[in-house]
Parts: sequence; structure tokens; C-alpha cells
Amino acid sequence: MPSPTSAAEKLLLQMVDDYTEREISPEDMPMDAAGDFPAGFIQKLTDTGFLGLMLPQEFGGAGFGPEVTAAALNHIARGNASTAVTLEGHFKTIDQILKFGTPALQQELLPSANDRIFAFSMTEASGGSNPMGIGSTATREGDHWVLNGDKIMITNGGLAQVYCVLVKTAPHELSVFVVDQDMPGFSFGKREDFIGLRGTPVGEIVMDHIIVDNDHLLGKVGDGGRIGDSAHDDARILMGAVLTGIMEHDLKIATDYAKERKAGDQPLTALQVTHRKVADIAMRKETTKLLFEKAAQLKANGQPYSEEAAMAKAYGSRVAVAAGDDTLQILAGYGYSREYPVEHLIRDARAMEIAEGTVEKMRSAIATAEFNK
Amino acid sequence: MKIVVCIKQVPETNDVTIDPVTHNLDRRGLAGVMNPFDKNAIELALNLKDSRDDVQVALLTMGPDDYAESLREGLAMGADEGYLLSDRAFAGADTLATGYVLAQALKKIGDADLILFGRQAVDADTGQVGPIVAEFLQQPQITYAASLRLSGDNEVTAERLLEDTKQTLVAQLPAVISVRSELNTPRYPTPRNIQLSFAKPLTTWHHDDLDLDDTRLGQAGSPTIVTKVYAPEPVKRELTKLAGTPAEAASQLITALKGRQLI
Amino acid sequence: MSKPELWVVAERRLDHIEPTTQQLITKAKHLAGNQMHTVAVLFEATTDHLEDELKAYGPDEIRIVKDDRFPTATDAEIADALQQLVTANEPNSILFGATITGRSIAPRLQAKLQTGLTADCLDLRFDDDTLVATKPSYGDNIMCEIICPDHRPQMATVRPNTFVAEPADGAATVTSSTITFHPVDRLQVKTATPVVNTATTVGDASRVVALGRGAASAATISTATKLAEKLGGRIGVSRPLTDQERFTHDDQIGQSGNTIHPELILNFGISGAVQFLVGMQDSQTIVAVNSDPDAPIFDVADYGYVGDATAFMTALLAQFN
Repeated sequence: MPSPTSAAEKLLLQMVDDYTEREISPEDMPMDAAGDFPAGFIQKLTDTGFLGLMLPQEFGGAGFGPEVTAAALNHIARGNASTAVTLEGHFKTIDQILKFGTPALQQELLPSANDRIFAFSMTEASGGSNPMGIGSTATREGDHWVLNGDKIMITNGGLAQVYCVLVKTAPHELSVFVVDQDMPGFSFGKREDFIGLRGTPVGEIVMDHIIVDNDHLLGKVGDGGRIGDSAHDDARILMGAVLTGIMEHDLKIATDYAKERKAGDQPLTALQVTHRKVADIAMRKETTKLLFEKAAQLKANGQPYSEEAAMAKAYGSRVAVAAGDDTLQILAGYGYSREYPVEHLIRDARAMEIAEGTVEKMRSAIATAEFNK
Repeated sequence: MKIVVCIKQVPETNDVTIDPVTHNLDRRGLAGVMNPFDKNAIELALNLKDSRDDVQVALLTMGPDDYAESLREGLAMGADEGYLLSDRAFAGADTLATGYVLAQALKKIGDADLILFGRQAVDADTGQVGPIVAEFLQQPQITYAASLRLSGDNEVTAERLLEDTKQTLVAQLPAVISVRSELNTPRYPTPRNIQLSFAKPLTTWHHDDLDLDDTRLGQAGSPTIVTKVYAPEPVKRELTKLAGTPAEAASQLITALKGRQLI
Repeated sequence: MSKPELWVVAERRLDHIEPTTQQLITKAKHLAGNQMHTVAVLFEATTDHLEDELKAYGPDEIRIVKDDRFPTATDAEIADALQQLVTANEPNSILFGATITGRSIAPRLQAKLQTGLTADCLDLRFDDDTLVATKPSYGDNIMCEIICPDHRPQMATVRPNTFVAEPADGAATVTSSTITFHPVDRLQVKTATPVVNTATTVGDASRVVALGRGAASAATISTATKLAEKLGGRIGVSRPLTDQERFTHDDQIGQSGNTIHPELILNFGISGAVQFLVGMQDSQTIVAVNSDPDAPIFDVADYGYVGDATAFMTALLAQFN
């Protein structure tokens, strides 16, 4: 008999596949066209318990570990990357509250993570994910803090109800606080009109004199940089999983088409030019899969995983764009048509060369890790 | 009120092939999943459970040990307990021998007010086991129910769709019901309920746990024998040309479609 | 031991005979040859004369059991009546239509008689007095030949429209039998009303009128709609027609639309691009009308007409009316 853990994981992935096929895949194209999740889509995802997938059981979640959580997002992304990225943004935020929150804060917030989406916000208009360019502030007033500032380009911004925000508590000191959309002084700003991952809202929050108690500080004052890095690491594993799913989607479209289509009297599957492209897509997919699985395994075992997570995302995002391009070329005119999903898979993958740290920044991090060995 | 839902595990896909050498069914690498139609029966049971406080839902299946996976999925959907009937002596059973063992197990479980089945299994496609069990238990049956509600303390009202007729039937419990897939949309097991299902009782009964007549079990107790298994020839289409004026050609087509009883 | 009788259990559908019964009588006559006696078993009310719908197909005998409770009898009651007849007559084999009624009664009878039943058969033959039934499995991907060597009667349900009913010569002997009707009061049929099946997407329809670029005018679509109604089917379209406001993805057939396998599809003005063909080539009966004799749609069609799609459609509708 298999262990209950592996049996549960098998059952989970079976359910995820079933749900993806019936509820998520059919919305992939409409979602891209509409630039939003369809009405009721997130509610159904919530009602089916997806938000609590990796949340520990003591908080009412399912408590699945890092490896099967990544696998679940991989399977979802085979049908639609936006849905997987929205869950990625939620999960990485829960991860930081689990790592850095006090038991009291966890007890207060985490049970609601089963029905409320959480988000982690770093970026500001003054510059990318560069933490020292941050202008938002938290000022201590008595036994509480006052938060001010604008955070932009937040994955799930506008959809999420709870936000971890990276702010300055001193000129060279970053800290993370947790704020709730219901707090006085909290408002939503503009939503980005991005070219890819168009289901997932990416938006702005405005903090105008939000007062939070000291217990809404994540970790200690000055832990902001460390928590931000940790959030990146956790997100990057899951993005590797999403990118793998996108390439699996590419591969399915490319092979299905090649099997049905003829060039002259030759089936496309008989042409070397098709072989080369399909093999390249498959090798890229498999390499990315090994990278994210390795990173997830290290995380599950309590070992360092930052470098592997960066590799999964940096490598995966570059090759997923290339895999989409090769798929497009196999489908030729149909690939270039918006009637087929290939072109949006390229746009979806392209987002991940930027989000959670650019490819260039990943390379610096990986190189630095190598220099330090 | 006690409801027992009888389920079956089937290959995850119907894309099975024949081994060209042995002429046996090649089922290698095919994972088992719960028969999709059975989920409609479970959903019906869970709906009734949601609507009343006193409903207990048990799942019952006969098959090898890995059929526990389908029971587990049903428990994760919300059923309360599962029974697996597993024994070498049960192997090779046709619908009659399967129905016999299920009926004996249902007698042991006891006091089921409703015994539910999916409309049929997607692999063998017979839909026979429900009526066989109903006969063995001497209970009334409503097959292919399109809707079902409790219409009294001890009574259900169901609609049954025949090919082009709708019947309304009223049954006093206990009764055996098989359901159409249009009846409802089965819920998904939530990730949390998947984890929690492993704490729910799952009982395995072997041969000696049931009161059985050995001559009615497994292959020996099965009147039917499969003598040959083969892949059907692909449909060969031969184009019949319709000729003449449109009216003449239309008349030829009508004759042809009448011959095929399509009109 | 059993007698050389081959039975077809006649099924009623409201006030008529369900057509599968007639198809089975024809098949039974072919199977029986001179070796067996074909019997249509009919349960009806005292004032019914449903045997009049069976005589033309020439069974050797129509064995009628009359009781006014039969038209609303439940599965268990019919199975009980059949068991009494089987015990009295010991037939070699019994055939049912694999209709919902047939598939519900036959297994109850099987359980009473403790014999074999093969479901949803697509072919039947006899090897000596052993019935060899061919049954599809795994969604029709696999065929199995199944026998019931040691038990009689042998039983099978047969998929509707597998065989063609043919009127036959020879006068059927009409006999009457009696049984004791054992009512099962715990189950009552309260109402029975005719229903029309309505498909919501082209994938649900059993008959489809498919329109392509060559049949896209408003007048043609209007004619096609009437034709689809006559057939009890639905309109489907190829990709070019989805540009029209009245058609949505639910109507589209093909790779980026719905994959369908209706029992009948009539294709008008569709050339048959591979993206379209993969979505419909598993349909049971395919008819194509196109002005281009080299259109690929003719490669997958059972019946083809080279000519104007609208003119053909209009003529077809007129003859239906």
C-alpha cells in the first residue's frame, strides 16, 4: 500500500487535472481576450479549496508540502498560466507569514487565507524590485505604526484582500507589514494593462495614513530585505512550475498539430525541421521541470534553495518564450493567429522574464552564488 | 437514513489497444480512476446528506486492493465510510457474480434505505449490476433517474427519462436507484478533504467476512465467457454518389436515410 | 434443456412498438433459419393491438400476454411476468433492445434466472445452439465476443439501429399466454409524457446540419434551420461562419470548436479543411453537398452530391414536407 501522504498527493493531482480540464482550460482563451478572470471564476477556485492547498491543517488548510504544491501549479498552468500565477502570488505570501509571522499573527490571519487571497508587494514607481528605492514609509507612533505610500505592479493587486508591504522604517531600513483592504486609509489604484498573463490582475495599492498595531510587523524591524528575498525564492520555484506547464501546453499543441497536418503529401511529423523544434521544446520543458523540482525538494528538506529557484525561473522563462516561438513556427499562419493559444503562451511566458526579478538580476544572483562557493 | 453508493474503478482512458501477438487487452500503464458516472450517484447521496442531519453515506466496491483509491476519492468528496470487497475468489466475475457479492455485502452492511449506482461503467458499459442487485435484494428499482427527491419520510419521487418519454415514479424505501449523469454536477474533493479522508473508516472484507455460496463467485459463478477480444475495423466509408437534379438527388438521399432508419 | 425458441421481447413506447423490436425480429429470423422458432413476446392491455405493428416483420409467432396493468408496469413486474413465461416455455435465447427499458428489465430477469446476459450488442450469431454476442467495450474501442455456454436461456440486449427492420412474408401465428401479475406496490409509475430532446451545443445533437462558406446566406441558413428542426437536430458551422453574429463557439465544429459524433451529419457548402474534418469524421452517417467535385469532404462522406448546396437543401426540405 502506498503511504497516506503519497496517496493523498496522487489524489490531489488527479483532482487538479480534472478541475483544470473542466473548469480552467475552457477559460484560457476567453481570459486572454477579456483581460480578466471571468465572473465567479475565483469564487469557484476558492470554494473548491485551492487557496488552502499549502496552508497548514491547523489553520484550516490542506497542508500539502512544497513539492506537490509546485506540481499542482505546474498541472494548472498546462491549462492556464494566469490561474497558476494568481495562486503563486497567494502561496508565496502565506509562506512568508509562516516563516516570519508571530504565532499570534498567524492565528489571526492565516485561517482567512482559505477564502481570501493574500499578496506580497515590493515594487514602487521609483524603480523595479530595487528595495532601497522604496519611498513608502512606516513611522512608529506610540505602540502602533503609520503607513504611507504607493505600491504598484502587485500580483493580485485589487483581487487580494490582505497585503504584505515592504516599507522603510528608517532611511536604510526595510520592514514588512501586513495590511488589510478593510483598514482605514487603504485604497486601490490603477490596474496594469499587461500583454501577458492577462487573467491575473496586477495593480496598485495606496496607503494613506494606515494605522497598524505592532503585531502586524512581519519578523523584526529591518527584516524587510531578508523577507523580500525569501518571498522571491518561494515565488521563483512556483514560476518554474508554471513555465514548465506553459511549455507542456506548447508541446501538446505542436504535436497534435504536427500529427494532423500535411505539408504537401508528407505529414509534418515526417519532417526533420519539425523534429528539431519538437525535440527542443521537449528538452527545454524537461530541464525546467528538473530545476523547479530540485528547488522544491531542497525546500521540503529544509536545505538552501535560493540559487536553484533562481535558475528555474531565469532559465525557464527564457526557454519558454523560445518554446512558444518554435510552436508558433510549426503552426505557421495558425500559430500567428489569435484563434490558437500559441501567441498568448509566448506573451504569458515573457512576463516571467521580468516578474519576481528580471532574468538579468537572476543571473547576477546565480553568478554571485557561484563566486562565493 | 443510510445510503450506500456502489462504485467501480475503471481505466483512466478508453484508449486501450490489443496486443498484436497475444490478442489480449493491453492495459499496461493505465491508471485506475473512479467510474465518472458513479460520481453523479455520490453527489446525489451527498446532496441528500447536505439537506438532512441524519444521513450517513457509505461507499461499496468490489475489486483488487487498489480500488481503495476510488473509495478514498469518494470519501474526499464527503462520504462517511468505505467498504472494499477484495478476494481472489471474486476475480473474473461477470455482472451476475459481481451483483451477487455486492448484494451479500449490502445485507451485511444492513438497513440501507437507498442503494445508488451510476448509470453504467464507462469500460464495460453494461448498466446491469444495479438491477441485478435490486433483484437479489428484492427491492424496487428506478434506473436512469434524471432527478430524485425525498417526498416523504420513507418515500422518494424520481423522474426517469426513457428515449422519448419522461416518467414520474414514486418508490417506498428501501429502493435501488441508478442515476443519469445529467442529474447533477459532482463536486470536486477539496485539497483539505483529500487529506482528511485518510482518517475516515475504510473496511476491507474478504471472502470469509461474507456469507457466500462459492459456486456463485468469480469466474466459476459467471455464466458468460469472453471468447474473443479484438479491435474493430475502422469504419470504411464508401461514397455513394447522388446524381441528377437536386430534387432527384434529395429523393435518393431520403431513400438511403430511410434504409438506415435515420428518418 | 431448452426448446429451440428464439424470443424477442417487444417493447412499447407509449402507444406504439419501439422500432428496435422490429429490427430484432428481422435479425432473429435470419439467425433462426430453419433451426429455431422465432417468437415475439408482447405484453399489452386487453384493449391494445400492438401485434398489428409486429405482424409485417414475420415472426413465426406472436405470443401475447394481456393485462391492463402492463402499460404502466414497472421493471420488476415485467421481469416477473417474463420469468413465468420462460419457466413455462424454456426458450433457447431472448433478445431485448438495448433501450433504457430493455437494459433495465433484462438484468432483473437475468438475476431471477441466474443466467448470462450480454449488453448493448452490435452483432449476433449462432455457433450450433450457442449464441455468440459481439459487444463493444471501452467506448467502442474494443469488441468482445461473449458466449454463455452452460446456462439457458441465453440473453442479450442489442443496440438500437444496429440492424435494419425488413418486412417479411409469412403469417405470424398469434397466440395468447397467461401469467399471474404480481404487483409491486412499493413502486408506482405516476405519469408518462412524451419529451423532445433538445441539444444545447452542437456536441449534444444526434443530428447535425453543418453549414460552411458555400451555404452562408441568410435564406440558406433559414432553410437549414427548418431542415434541422425536421430532423430533430441542430445547426453546426465551420470556422468561416462563426464571423456571423448568430453563431458562437457552441455552434462551431472542428479543431478549435466542438468535436462531434452524431448519428447523422449533413454538410452543406463545406469543402472539408482538415481542421473541420478532425471534428466530425467519426460521425455515423455523413452526407456532403458541395459544388466542387474535388472537395476533401467527399473523402469522408457516405453520400455525396456535387451541386448547389442551397438548391439541394431546398429540395430535401420540400420532400420532407
